[in-house]
Amino acid sequence: MAEIVTAYCASHAPMQAVDPESAPKHQADSFFAGLEAVRKQFERAQPQAVVMLSGEHFTNYFLDALPQLGVGLAEKYNTPSARWLRMEHTVLPGAPDLGEHIVAELIKKNYWPALSYDMDPDHGFLTVYDQLDPAWQTPMIPMVLNCTTPPLITLRQSYEFGITMGEVLRSYEGLERVAFVGGGGLCHYVGEPRIGDIDEDFERWFLAELAKPDCGELLDLPNDELMEAGNGTGEVRAWVALAGAMRGHEMKLLSYEPIYEWIIGMAVVTWTP
Amino acid sequence: MSIYQVQKALFDYLRAREHAPKGEQPDIATVVARGYELDDEERKAVESLDLGTLYAMGTHPVIINGLARNMGYRKADYRPLLAGSMPPERKVKPRWLKS
Repeated sequence: MAEIVTAYCASHAPMQAVDPESAPKHQADSFFAGLEAVRKQFERAQPQAVVMLSGEHFTNYFLDALPQLGVGLAEKYNTPSARWLRMEHTVLPGAPDLGEHIVAELIKKNYWPALSYDMDPDHGFLTVYDQLDPAWQTPMIPMVLNCTTPPLITLRQSYEFGITMGEVLRSYEGLERVAFVGGGGLCHYVGEPRIGDIDEDFERWFLAELAKPDCGELLDLPNDELMEAGNGTGEVRAWVALAGAMRGHEMKLLSYEPIYEWIIGMAVVTWTP
Repeated sequence: MSIYQVQKALFDYLRAREHAPKGEQPDIATVVARGYELDDEERKAVESLDLGTLYAMGTHPVIINGLARNMGYRKADYRPLLAGSMPPERKVKPRWLKS
């Protein structure tokens, strides 16, 4: 049976890859130090695959057929997104056996994800993955969540989904060690007049609640109230799902910086395996 | 006619430009000519890439974001561009606000 040997969440902003120097140095240093701490833990734990949850940005799906959840099952992923992100690599190894296990077990547990054999892991995945494994050697299973187009799942449903994902990953017999990672958030506004605003009160409250047993008050937060923190902030569904998968494990905040130059609150949290 | 058709035309435009070689990126009129069910107001807003009107019509903000980036706008440009569509006052007071 597989163990989740690395579990963390990190914000993803295109600017962290394209123009990292645009942020105040102390803030960028703090954020990247958080990612570096995770990377070192990752190197020690040596996961054989990384399962990553991120929000859909109309990169892989559009309104003609938009699932709440999509799972990548490819042997490899050619990612044009890597080019504009100016990344060294453009081909990412996949892990279809684990992906098929995830889909099959989710179906048994009444989740019905969409399948994709030709996914483009975009900045939501790559900015996080590239910091974790700069050589792009660790196979990835990308999983996209609808976080911006209502009707949307609630944070409570995200948490329950995460609990199921934890069970699914730990039931896999094909590998011994996997990493489970969430990318996205925190607070940001996309394509609307408030772009650039960051609700720091929300972010501090969110991170404090996330660390509590069963996420404190977070699971009672209705979607319309969550939307008050920004129309891109719903990506925190991935963070809540990770908290569900790691229920009973201690969460540690490694970095939190509201980086206005990157138009987003940047944080890194990890759960003790 | 349908905000979906507006969004589909804009999405197809962004995709076509993303996939075309440099210097061969299609303009919006070329993409619209493929055929979308748009009424006069929608066609005018789409063909002029009028972000303020498109946003007010209900175009998904992820598409607005893609268009704005494609047109070279920066974050300070959004507020004046979308000035006529400022969001309403909060309907609910979020629980994380201290006052």
